[in-house]
Amino acid sequence: MAKVTVCTDWLDICSGCHMSLLDIDERLVQLLEHIQLLSSPITDLKHPPKEGCDIGILTGAVSNDHQLAVAEEMRERCKILIALGDCAVFGGICAMRNFFDVEDVLKRVYVETESTAPDQKVPQSPEIAKLLPRVKAINEVVDVDLHVPGCPPTADGIWFVLTEFLEGRMPVIPEELLTYD
Amino acid sequence: MPDVRITIDGKEVSVPAGSTVLEAAESIGIEIPTLCHHPAVEPIGACRMCLVEIEKQRTLQPACTFPVSDGMVVHTHSEKVIKARRFVLQLLFSERNHFCMYCQMSGSCELQDLAYEYGLDHWTYERPFPKLPVDASREYFIMDHNRCILCRRCIRACDELVGNKTLGIKNRGTNSMIIADLDVPFGESSCVSCGTCLQVCPTGALADRASAYMGAEDEIERVKSRCMACSVGCGVELIVRENRVIRIEGDWDAEPNSGLLCEIGRFHPLHEQRQRVYEPLIRGEDGLQKVDWEDALGLAAEKIREADDDLVSVVSGFASTEAAEAVINQLPGQKVTMEGPAPDVQSAPLSTLDEADLFIVIDADLTVNYQVAGFAIKRGFRHRGARLVVIDDEENGLDPWASEKLSLEEAEEVLDRAEDAEHPVVLCDVEGLELAQSLSKEISDSDLVVFAPAGNTLGLKEAGIESAFAESEKASVYYVLADEAPEMGDALSQALSEAEFVIVQASFQEPWDDVADVILPSPITSEKSGTMVNTEGRVEQIVAAVDKSLPDEVEVIEKIGNRIRAASASAGE
Repeated sequence: MAKVTVCTDWLDICSGCHMSLLDIDERLVQLLEHIQLLSSPITDLKHPPKEGCDIGILTGAVSNDHQLAVAEEMRERCKILIALGDCAVFGGICAMRNFFDVEDVLKRVYVETESTAPDQKVPQSPEIAKLLPRVKAINEVVDVDLHVPGCPPTADGIWFVLTEFLEGRMPVIPEELLTYD
Repeated sequence: MPDVRITIDGKEVSVPAGSTVLEAAESIGIEIPTLCHHPAVEPIGACRMCLVEIEKQRTLQPACTFPVSDGMVVHTHSEKVIKARRFVLQLLFSERNHFCMYCQMSGSCELQDLAYEYGLDHWTYERPFPKLPVDASREYFIMDHNRCILCRRCIRACDELVGNKTLGIKNRGTNSMIIADLDVPFGESSCVSCGTCLQVCPTGALADRASAYMGAEDEIERVKSRCMACSVGCGVELIVRENRVIRIEGDWDAEPNSGLLCEIGRFHPLHEQRQRVYEPLIRGEDGLQKVDWEDALGLAAEKIREADDDLVSVVSGFASTEAAEAVINQLPGQKVTMEGPAPDVQSAPLSTLDEADLFIVIDADLTVNYQVAGFAIKRGFRHRGARLVVIDDEENGLDPWASEKLSLEEAEEVLDRAEDAEHPVVLCDVEGLELAQSLSKEISDSDLVVFAPAGNTLGLKEAGIESAFAESEKASVYYVLADEAPEMGDALSQALSEAEFVIVQASFQEPWDDVADVILPSPITSEKSGTMVNTEGRVEQIVAAVDKSLPDEVEVIEKIGNRIRAASASAGE
């Protein structure tokens, strides 16, 4: 039987959700017998292939135009999109800045912090991704098939979700594996 | 009224007419989720979590406010109901800042519990991210409007339970905001910092400064004990984690306070600034110095034995009844109370305050002392139309509630006002007792509520320590069982500074460090076990919630007693 193909990427995030994925420990070996990882932030191939994949996993919130493009590409190229973790599902910690205007946030960070030297400016370069006015959960920019909240989701929760998929079922996360923090 | 028969989820139940659907369901063990509902306050159906399907009703109805009627058929968990509850949760989460990952309430939050129960794995609606303020103007707890779901529990608790009615709401719909008085900062409002609103808040909107992020519900233990700060003797729940009390809440099941506490009982122990005493101290050339228990007990016993009847033992109302008995049994000389004499009359139960239609408060400020009883007066004033007459020569915190203020000289005038009262209650402490007794005798059917001067004054009386320090004769050696007592009063201060030797058993250095020659460490209320007797004569259990490895107050007194007897025996006395 052909292996299930998986692509993953991270957006605005601390990367803790991918750490939690690694926390499934020795079960990783078992998992790799059934799945093939096509792209991820820590492999050579960063983009999901044009031919597409079965499962796309995104962690993190959508905070800038680059992340928006990553999310859109992943949605386009995967059959099932999983939003993994609170930032991906709700906006999470990243969404704290939504209680302020984006100009104020940039000014505070690059100009006004106590440790900043005088007369600094907010960096402007076409190479730097532009912040969106508001941090968004992934389901605010593209359709999401499965939400796995948690800061981070537990390793057991991630394992449950992946094995359900491998068994051909759409996972329904039970109450004991559902967590928001 | 006759009972009404209704069917809930296929189960028939007979309940008194006038019950709500929620009460009927609870009576047969059917759980309906609630959020704005709190058993201690009136239901208002604000949050819609308890929506149920009632046959022949056009729309879903809130179970917490909907009255039962004969033949009613209710479905509490139909598909339609579950869908509606999920919808309600979605709306609640979408409105303000309900991100659990950085909320101090996560793990103890009723909104979060319901989201888990209903499997909310994402939010459907766009979030408006309103820019709402955080009010941190109060000393002990903050109000974060971003976490508020407008359930109005705080408003109802402040009004119905405390009678203070500081809280209210401004604007309508999504612009609604909880406000204090006419929208002033909470710290500048009429708030009395009793913290009842904090205790009933289901989310992280009201956050306790001392215990925020210190432990969620599954990491803490709740130990029921008593507050000894005054003679009301409120039941408390000590919230404990890792052998530390992190928060104090009122015990809903305890009489006489039914869940209420005042600022002193709820917050003061956790914001205590005085220096704890964990090791015995003896006065040397450079002031008080740490010594081991043997030396301290030996010196205390020697001085007490030498003094014999030239000793006065002064016992604070923070001491347990057992400690007072130990003083009686182990030490020579006179024994007196620190805070004042025990009243020589039996007080009426405090529950009479909730039936009174006229309060006559004599020479006592119930907004400063015995505050929880003061709440009952404000409740009566607001919700039963009870009248209040304050008889006091000085300013009294209850003056704004009083329909009349009389000076002590004019006290007799109150007899006219009491003529048409059905259930007058006269309240006083020991200072106003004589006047209160004479007035109470002349007012027919009146009850007399008397407040003993300190937490366990009546327990000390039961042990045999009745008279006040003021009545004691001067002695050269003093033994003071102070425990947590915050002050000693001018007369005691004078006597101690003139004494030859002063032994103090206390939890804190202040205010004893200037006068004591020996300080023996004593546990605070949350660290000790024993009994106290409140002003109604109710015997209450003090339960140790944490262990700081300090010897019990009784044990220390007994050790001194043993040393005195051993020394006397070897001296052949």
